[in-house]
Amino acid sequence: MFYVPKNAIYKRIPRRKFLELGGGVATALGAGSVAVGLSSVVTRSPVQAASSDDAKWKQYSGTKLVFMSENTPPSFAIRENLKPFYDLTGIEVEILTDDLPVVQQKVGIDLRSGKADFHLNYVQDKPIGAPFADYFANLNDFINDDTLPQDPDGMGADAWFENFLDVCGTMYTRDRLIAFPYDSAVACTFYRQDLFEQHSPDFEKEYGYRMEFTKDTTWKNVYDFAEFFKKLRAAGQDVPYGYAQHQGSFAWTAQLDIQRLMYAHGQWTEFDVDDKLGSKEPGPTRWGDESSIFLMEKWKELASVAHPDNLANDTLQLNTVYQAGQIAMQVQYHEFAASIEDEKTSRAAGGKTAYAPCPKGEASWIKNGGQAVNGTSCGIGGIGINNNASDDLKRAAYLFAMWSTSKETQYNVLKGVGGTPTRKAVMDMPGVKEARQRPTDMPNALTFDAVYDYGIKDPHFVLGPKIPEANEYYQIILTEVQKCISGQQDPAATCESIRDQVDDMNDI
Amino acid sequence: MATQVLPGGALRGDAPGGINPVGIMPGFVTRDGVTVLEAEPLARNPEPSRRYYFYMMAPAIITLAAISLYPFFWLIWMSLHDVDIMAGDKWVGLKNFERLFTRDAKFSNGWLLLIQYSAMCLFFEVLLGVLIAVLLNRSRWEKVLVTVFLMPMMMAPAIAGLVWYYLYNGTFGWYHWFMQSVGLLGETSILGSPSTAMIGLVLVDIWQWTPLIVLITLAGLKRVPRDQLEANMVDGAGEIRNFFQVVLPNLYPFLLIGILLRFMDNFRFIDSVLILTGGGPADATNILPVYLFDVSFQYFKLGRGAAIALTLLVVTIILGMFLVKIFDSPAARNVGRTEG
Repeated sequence: MFYVPKNAIYKRIPRRKFLELGGGVATALGAGSVAVGLSSVVTRSPVQAASSDDAKWKQYSGTKLVFMSENTPPSFAIRENLKPFYDLTGIEVEILTDDLPVVQQKVGIDLRSGKADFHLNYVQDKPIGAPFADYFANLNDFINDDTLPQDPDGMGADAWFENFLDVCGTMYTRDRLIAFPYDSAVACTFYRQDLFEQHSPDFEKEYGYRMEFTKDTTWKNVYDFAEFFKKLRAAGQDVPYGYAQHQGSFAWTAQLDIQRLMYAHGQWTEFDVDDKLGSKEPGPTRWGDESSIFLMEKWKELASVAHPDNLANDTLQLNTVYQAGQIAMQVQYHEFAASIEDEKTSRAAGGKTAYAPCPKGEASWIKNGGQAVNGTSCGIGGIGINNNASDDLKRAAYLFAMWSTSKETQYNVLKGVGGTPTRKAVMDMPGVKEARQRPTDMPNALTFDAVYDYGIKDPHFVLGPKIPEANEYYQIILTEVQKCISGQQDPAATCESIRDQVDDMNDI
Repeated sequence: MATQVLPGGALRGDAPGGINPVGIMPGFVTRDGVTVLEAEPLARNPEPSRRYYFYMMAPAIITLAAISLYPFFWLIWMSLHDVDIMAGDKWVGLKNFERLFTRDAKFSNGWLLLIQYSAMCLFFEVLLGVLIAVLLNRSRWEKVLVTVFLMPMMMAPAIAGLVWYYLYNGTFGWYHWFMQSVGLLGETSILGSPSTAMIGLVLVDIWQWTPLIVLITLAGLKRVPRDQLEANMVDGAGEIRNFFQVVLPNLYPFLLIGILLRFMDNFRFIDSVLILTGGGPADATNILPVYLFDVSFQYFKLGRGAAIALTLLVVTIILGMFLVKIFDSPAARNVGRTEG
């Protein structure tokens, strides 16, 4: 019925056994999952440490793998161009893509049920990596295996941009590595340079400083800019709103949105844990302290001068609002630059948009004695291997994980559909340096100065919170902050409610 | 040439015209050279034992158990455990329920919102459904219009959710633009405010499921006894009095079916809610099934999710039984009896 190589060692079930297992009932009840299961086959040609690289790459020729990924540019681009990997390894890979929440559900069910319908998983750092860290294979085992080929640029922390391996690969312990950085979404500021320049003289008259965006622009300045644009609108001028927040229904990015403000002011974090490592037992939360209440008040003030549809705009919608020319500024993920620079779909294209680091903390707003930084949050999507799979399937999956994160693949994605590299070496590839300036054929590269040269570096980069209950935490934040912004409860009550729920969630 | 009496009543040559029921005539010579003279009557089969019935029903019972009873008992089991495949399931007794009923505000809020949502949907769907059905009944364009009205119902709820999501969108949504133009909305979209988001959801449900009530009501209208209508008119009743005195009482059981179906649906269908609002903003549309989904498949708290599901199931069963009891009431049974 299905082609299975002669040396297949997996999933050939004799007819008698099939009948013994009640195959008829199983077929009727689980046709879907059985179909997925049948699509995975592994074959193996034994290799030694001394075997050639070609033999090592080819040792699982004839194997079929399934990769469940978020619908991000790299996955689309790689799915369209899998032939080089097939030629290199003889392994067939099926890439399934969906929205992140759906991927999280599917991957979560697969992992937690002890199955391996998806051998490779998109490990979005906090939403997927933090709750399911124990279910992924330890990639250190493969990195140190001399019967597997290895990437010449290495797979260690030095090969990736600063902090990236920690963000998605390290969860709760440094003994295990659960994912390689596959793609990245790092926050930076997108703003309408044309409008800023046009209105800067009027702004300066009123506020006493120029309306421009630099790495020293603070959240207080952002408030001023937004207030200024709102006043112009109220006076009947045809200008967009100044600013908008990610406070729509996507809980994770709503949490990242307010996290930037909180971290910028004294590097405030939710828990007293190592932010790079996270913790399964994070202890009592800091929500409800003086800093959090004060900054929540500021967040509400910012919302009051933001686009009025603030509570409907999640990250994707917010980007659409910016593309439509309805706001003059957004803190957005650098992977969206390509869509902003697309003249067919964006009114902000054609050199109107400039990119800067995330806003810096306002010194007078810091209540915990910490320093003001450009709080930069992120989502580093990793690629991990399902630990429920057989050893051979895991080894075969490692080959794909390594290939899909190689500098050549990332470079092709960057050139093709606008990827966001995770490997340092990509920056040295032909044309990438030039692409950072207009005119460019790699629009995402316009953000590289703000992101790779500045935002991701310590002390600006905020990695967490890495806790097993991350998704519940995001939902609590989203709901309570929305209540605050919509006027249903005041900032102090909001922070206290968050504290009570989060502590209850963590059995404090 | 041999002759033989074949066994089996079916071969008796006593059918009209001398031809037996299977068409073999007496005197027929079979391939084996046997001449059929007559057939013996069949012996009556013995009465099957109770075990026989059990064996015959067993496959259906086992299948039913596999797809229904087993998950039900598994649900109860899960609700009493902290479900974790890595660490192993841990018995927690009634802790999951205790949490729901003592300190889970989202649970109680979810129930309130679900009741509110269902009540609004049912009220408007029944009102509009009956109105439209009465207008359509026996109209010249009835068939064409019924087909047109049924189209939303044929759409998958998830697709309907997506379509309305775009129509409501504050940036490019046509409905948003329209509602803003006529002064119903400001710059905030209908889904962007906690005070209007629920209305947005109810409108989608009304749009999609009023046709079901129209369909059911139309079926009921066809069965309204003509003699009752005529008798009432002889007594001097006009169209409106006729409607309330004759038509509506006769529609009663049909509407109950519609209400029961829609009521169950509102407890189950969350596709469009998830797409449109995901339960927000500020939990304004976080009806219980959405919360159940979040707990089970976003937070993977399967024990707590099972406890929520169990309460939902129990309430649904009780309300279902209540409605079935109404169907069984003498009043409901007697409706329409005079016809034919």
